[in-house]
Amino acid sequence: MSDHHNTDHSGPAARVKALEAILAEKGLIDSASIDAIVDAYETRVGPRNGARVVAKAWIAPAYRRRLLADATKAVAELDFAGPEGGHLVAVENTDRVHNLVVCTLCSCYPWPVLGLPPVWYKSFAYRSRAVSDPRGVLADFGLKLKPEVEVRVWDSSAEIRYLVIPQRPKGTEKMSEDELVAIVTRDSMVGVAKVEAPRR
Amino acid sequence: MSEHALDKLIEAARLDPDHVFSAPWEARAFALALKLSESGHFTWDEFRAHLIAEVGASDRIRARDGTSDQGEYYEHFLRALEKLLDEKGIAHLLSA
Repeated sequence: MSDHHNTDHSGPAARVKALEAILAEKGLIDSASIDAIVDAYETRVGPRNGARVVAKAWIAPAYRRRLLADATKAVAELDFAGPEGGHLVAVENTDRVHNLVVCTLCSCYPWPVLGLPPVWYKSFAYRSRAVSDPRGVLADFGLKLKPEVEVRVWDSSAEIRYLVIPQRPKGTEKMSEDELVAIVTRDSMVGVAKVEAPRR
Repeated sequence: MSEHALDKLIEAARLDPDHVFSAPWEARAFALALKLSESGHFTWDEFRAHLIAEVGASDRIRARDGTSDQGEYYEHFLRALEKLLDEKGIAHLLSA
């Protein structure tokens, strides 16, 4: 059977199906392994991993220091590794500095700790404005920073990925690591949100 | 120009925070690319270069026309994968 399928004008779903069929026929992939990857990235690899890293950094000063010194290594301590995880850099929010992460060219993102990026992260609207108008972008997310807070924008690349360590909210001093993991959101680790203490 | 578009995408993500794929084909396309790179048919950097080219072409049109995107990232992703596989002689799916 020829593998010249003129699928270019078909919808993407049909094109992917055709592609998968050809690759399977050539023995380059098998559908079970594709299913397994889809399942892993839809369920297992996600921002819970990053939330664990952040919670640990909040609780253990020694871990926080290791994370800031070499995030790739500190994250590997928790067994979070995998594709697109190399050269991870952790940047910490403080009362004076707020960090925001973007990938202006495409969609570079630290998969092992955050999973795959959300739709807005990959959008032209976000990528084109995060560098030129970070406060405007943050306002779109409902985040208003005090004028004296410096916003640092980090443009991800093939070489370096960033993880924002958000500020630990007040009122969470007695919370356990697991409880803290539950309140750390993906958005806070990209820098478009703060972590909120749970309402009592 | 694009503020409005970002609002919509943010709202969609709030309603469904765990969703990373908008359709099953997006997940399949992603997994095919990852699997093929893991088995050494190309490197992820090679793929990324194609992806950046596709995304960049779309960005230039948007910047020129002042239009906003509706989240068609995986269409660029698929196109990048098709072109790379074509160049590598792995699978010819593109019409001439």
